[in-house]
Amino acid sequence: MSQIAFLGAVELGLVFSFVAIGVYLAFRILDFPDLTVDGSFPLGAAVAAVLIIAGWNPWLATAIAMAAGAAAGLVTATLNVKFRILNLLASILTMIALFSVNLRVMGKPNVALINQDTMLTPFFGHGLSEFYVRPLFIGVLVIIAVFLVWRFLASDLGLAMRATGANPRMARAQGVNTSLHIYLGMALSNALVALGGSLFAQTNGFADVTSGVGTIVVGLAAVIIGETLFHSRLILWALVGCVIGSVLYRIAIQLALSSDILGLKASDLNLVTAVLVACALILPRLRRGRAAA
Amino acid sequence: MKFLTAAAIATLAFAQPALARDVTVDVTAIVEHPALDAVRDGVKDALGEAGFKVGENLTFNYESAQGNPGTAAQIARQFIGNGPDIIVPISTPSAQAVVSATRDIPIVFSAVTDPVGAQLVKQLQKPGGNVTGLSDLSPVADHVALIKEILPSVKTIGVLFNPGETNSVTLVELLKKYGAEQGIAVVESAATRSSEVQNAARALAGRVDAIYVPTDNTIVSALESAVTVAIESKLPLFTADTDSVSRGAVAALGFNYYDVGKQTGAIVVRILNGEKPGDIDINVAAGTDLVINPGAAEKVGLTLPKSVVDRATKVIQ
Amino acid sequence: MIELSNLSVIFGRGTPLEKQALSGLDLAIETGSFVTVIGSNGAGKSTMLGVLAGDVIPTSGRVAIGGRDVTRIATAQRAKYVARVFQDPLTGSCGALTIQENLALAAARGSRRGFGLAIGSNRREEFRARVAELKLGLENRMDDRMDLLSGGQRQALSLVMATLAGSEVLLLDEHTAALDPGMAEFVMELTQSLVEKHKLTTLMVTHSMRQALDYGTRTVMLHGGKVILDVVGDNRRNLTIEDLIEMFRKARGGETLDDDALLVS
Repeated sequence: MSQIAFLGAVELGLVFSFVAIGVYLAFRILDFPDLTVDGSFPLGAAVAAVLIIAGWNPWLATAIAMAAGAAAGLVTATLNVKFRILNLLASILTMIALFSVNLRVMGKPNVALINQDTMLTPFFGHGLSEFYVRPLFIGVLVIIAVFLVWRFLASDLGLAMRATGANPRMARAQGVNTSLHIYLGMALSNALVALGGSLFAQTNGFADVTSGVGTIVVGLAAVIIGETLFHSRLILWALVGCVIGSVLYRIAIQLALSSDILGLKASDLNLVTAVLVACALILPRLRRGRAAA
Repeated sequence: MKFLTAAAIATLAFAQPALARDVTVDVTAIVEHPALDAVRDGVKDALGEAGFKVGENLTFNYESAQGNPGTAAQIARQFIGNGPDIIVPISTPSAQAVVSATRDIPIVFSAVTDPVGAQLVKQLQKPGGNVTGLSDLSPVADHVALIKEILPSVKTIGVLFNPGETNSVTLVELLKKYGAEQGIAVVESAATRSSEVQNAARALAGRVDAIYVPTDNTIVSALESAVTVAIESKLPLFTADTDSVSRGAVAALGFNYYDVGKQTGAIVVRILNGEKPGDIDINVAAGTDLVINPGAAEKVGLTLPKSVVDRATKVIQ
Repeated sequence: MIELSNLSVIFGRGTPLEKQALSGLDLAIETGSFVTVIGSNGAGKSTMLGVLAGDVIPTSGRVAIGGRDVTRIATAQRAKYVARVFQDPLTGSCGALTIQENLALAAARGSRRGFGLAIGSNRREEFRARVAELKLGLENRMDDRMDLLSGGQRQALSLVMATLAGSEVLLLDEHTAALDPGMAEFVMELTQSLVEKHKLTTLMVTHSMRQALDYGTRTVMLHGGKVILDVVGDNRRNLTIEDLIEMFRKARGGETLDDDALLVS
């Protein structure tokens, strides 16, 4: 694997670690199987791309993209909490609706950003190659996000959110408004996913409606790789695991692309990912089964 | 300058040393698809005819992104890291991923409908920089003329497409423009996945005189659904994809994507022989095939005019 | 002061499974009293507790706590007045959180939860001291996850959690039923001392006639969604388990008590 390919994999892994953290918040903290992310990732990309092209400051555009992602999460939460639609189904409805919304936002299926100034542009041209600048810049954002999410989950509010997912009946008995925390958690989760989408568009030069396909699987794979590696119940390690898992996932793909190791080709990636996630989902169950026996 | 530094580092540290006259061409497409695969094969054969042969002096790498833009980005980095002589991205997202990641390795894109809109190049003539290529903008005006020739009474054309595909959206806009010039109204019917094609086709029945399918991957993948509905409602189905005629379309006027690939390969050869990509104009691929299916025409109560039959490059029996 | 006036609860109204769980129940409980509640299965004990906690919204009637009408106030909003310990130790505490996180969650009951650290150094010391009072050695395991503890340990901590935020009312729903006899005894003694120390108005539903008479200041028997026995003071002191069983039988129109034989234990 060349250095550029390696740095590219790290960069993409870091971009998708926002997705992994978002998926972790929904699936693990809130216990909410949320497929909205397949729509909120391209939504973040679309909103950021369209605003940047319209001449907005890329940072502001990214912030608005995150707000749009949060709004998407709120729609799913509303369908679930207020209208009692099963969580998985509610998220599928939002995801499908977002396909149309994303097309509306962009006005066409693909918006190019290759010649626009992005959040990263000011950091280019100071002697360090773009191949380094991109992962470094995103890495700093990831560290900030991990710290903020960890600090949030350690606060009174975050604790209440964790209780909402882990034991809603107990949470309510302790005065926690569980509905409120589902709204809050889904908004936060999808805002992070949209941030990932917006960074993807800015680092790769385009927003495309199809870029959401399989986001959830990639996010879950990262979460699960992280959990398998760190095997810790501490939140901070789980969050770091999301990041490491996401980067390792991309490096694995890069390896499959760059060599004939195991005879893998890019076309086998979907299968590899599915097998990986399925194993990781089955393993804990087997472990539990053995413990019970 | 910094790119050169990076490339130099990469070359020193990782890339395999290339022998004097050996060349490497890396090809990627967003998804595996008969048309895109044909482009790839065309590129390879064009290189072979010019004396660059796989196994002798040509290393030819091909990767498909499996429809996933994230993977497309990784393939782009993979190729750039390998430092090939030329990268050939097929389709818009693949081309964008490659173009945004390098400004020094020559790029020859193919099967991109609107290279300027996709920001691959600033202009079509003398694009400058490291990027050139071939556009596959369908000859929509010729399509409208063909429909009118076969069906002179046509007042309304229904178009089936996936609003999620960039190329289709561009083509539908063109169809509306050229249709209006001929006094023909256009009714849009969208399907975002292949399972929706049948319903989308039904929605056109009774409202239009003919159905038109642009080079849309979603619709073409489920063309049989559209054909069934077209026969039911006695509507002739025209396509921009020539392979669709053997699957039940009445007629198609479209690119032979293998030829598109060969034309792309010719550009690659020019660059390998020392031309600068920035000096090579971007053209729309040349040469279209007219493929007709008289049997399918009969099923919807239509006889193809002799002028069309005589012109056809291929007749499906 | 707790007032339940003319409470009716009908589950599955208008369906073949319609069930009247409470029918015009009236009960007033003085501040600071410790009421034990008994009754056979289906008498309405759990429903009454659910109505007080906010889990069950009554079909008709009124619930007031400390003079505030809380009939239609949701569980979470009511939690500042009402603390609760469930029968299942897994329900009352959160297995995925550590001991001190569970305590922090309970300590913030009724106050606005913000972005401040849930476990600051002040709270850490306070929680440690409170847990040390249990003399179970758990003060050294404050960072252990709750699901590593036994049912008894979890119930004991649930009681501590119930007293952390200064609630007025404590609801105990057969909170020793799932424990072994030794641990049940320990938890009951702990309950008694915490109730006295924090002067909590307490309702304890129990299946054990002995617990019903040994603990608390007043005993209420429910049957058919109504109060059918309410004893306090000398009347209660002189009451034996046998008397209670006899009353039970009478209330049920002379039915035998075989299915309730365990009540004596």
